[in-house]
Amino acid sequence: MAVLTCRGLTKKFGSTVALDGVDITVEPGRVVGLLGPNGSGKTTLIKLANGLLTPGAGEILIDGKKPGVETKRMVSYLPERACLPDWMTAEGLMGFYSDFYADFDRDAAAGILSRLSIEGKQKIKHMSKGTREKVQLIMVMSRRAKLYLLDEPIGGVDPAARDLILDTIISNYNPEASVVISTHLIADVEKVLDDVIFISHGKIMLAAPADDVREQRGKSVDEVFREVFRC
Amino acid sequence: MLGKLLKHELRATAHTMLPIFGVMLLVSAMANVCARLTNSPGDTPVVLMIIFTLVVILFGAGLFAIGLVTVFIMVRRFRDNLLRDEGYIMHTLPVSVHAQIWSKVLVSSLWYAASSVTMVLSILLVSWDVDTIMEIGNVAGEIIRAMTREDHVAEMIAEVLALLVLASLVTSLSFDAALSIGHSFAKNKMALSVLTFVGLLVLGEIFTYYTLGKGIDYAALRTVDFIEGWRVTCAAGAGILLAMGGACYAITAFFLKRKLNLE
Repeated sequence: MAVLTCRGLTKKFGSTVALDGVDITVEPGRVVGLLGPNGSGKTTLIKLANGLLTPGAGEILIDGKKPGVETKRMVSYLPERACLPDWMTAEGLMGFYSDFYADFDRDAAAGILSRLSIEGKQKIKHMSKGTREKVQLIMVMSRRAKLYLLDEPIGGVDPAARDLILDTIISNYNPEASVVISTHLIADVEKVLDDVIFISHGKIMLAAPADDVREQRGKSVDEVFREVFRC
Repeated sequence: MLGKLLKHELRATAHTMLPIFGVMLLVSAMANVCARLTNSPGDTPVVLMIIFTLVVILFGAGLFAIGLVTVFIMVRRFRDNLLRDEGYIMHTLPVSVHAQIWSKVLVSSLWYAASSVTMVLSILLVSWDVDTIMEIGNVAGEIIRAMTREDHVAEMIAEVLALLVLASLVTSLSFDAALSIGHSFAKNKMALSVLTFVGLLVLGEIFTYYTLGKGIDYAALRTVDFIEGWRVTCAAGAGILLAMGGACYAITAFFLKRKLNLE
């Protein structure tokens, strides 16, 4: 069964159409790039999958179920912005995630924190912006989830940190799970993608395995993206 | 999961609330010392007099402000934790919206009660000397003895306490409902929350007027004895609070579930 299914998914904000009849499926064990320029509907789609928004029409299913308490147990979500409570410490956060998620691997989280020399007892508010983003990613990737939804995980960080983040994602996710990475920085993520979904103005422009795209067009996914979304 | 939410909610609010209550009690103790030292103003240096006066003013202001500060912190906590960035974490936890609301309402009510206790303790601390405390104890004992000589007094006290608890829960829910509506808009979220709160207050007054003012037959009430009348009034008050609390709860749950608009 597909881990993420959208059928005729539509979402409007006033008169603005954010998603317009989107049909996609994400199969288990795939790393999928949800690729599109700013304002194309990527974040809206991810918010709908997390139950943070409700669809105007159509449906979105996680492992065959509508977003709700049950699906939130399966989904590990990295929001676009750092949103950790700043009064907590990294250790406190591990306690928080352990309490609410049965699939949270505390040892794994502690191991990555230690490898990245992040003090467990340091408060979030005393960390740099980059360190906060890393801590949030560590919490998200230390769950043994069925579906990881990562919204712009490498947006706003320097190129060296991007490699570290991608390495953290690829070396920590549950191999039977699916990972959806939303980004417009294609060149950086291309190497880790199994499938690509191009989205523009709320419509799916292309959904195919990354290798097929490269083979059929004789170009990298990044080059195809630039061609499709040329201004 | 409600238990876990309550645990984290208590932890998150305690690190702000406990120091505030601690400072209030400390200022009360200092005000007590100052009041004793300034008993004979002629012997006290002017600088010390100024400091002592400031401490006493601080005590008065603190006593006045502690309830408002508690409300402000609880409102801010609901907004920041569920309607701003932290909402991305809270609303993706595998817990229901109902558990989220209950955890906020119960913990807020607990802190409202704690601020009342702190106010009483502060007054006791500032007036602390053995004779005064003995006198307060004697007066309180006399009041309790006088009250318990009468029938139904214990029942009446329990009813008043229950109404106070209910009123505290409803107050919390009305703040939450106003914030949830105000933050469903794209802009001016706080201003619209305040306007919504005022609107809810007006609606509450209208509802109370038509239920308590028009809905009770006061002529008939005069024919029954005092206790019977008291019971009817308390039941009506509880009914109104439950109706208003239920409406605010339903509004909050609807807006958090269907109209969430995180920044």
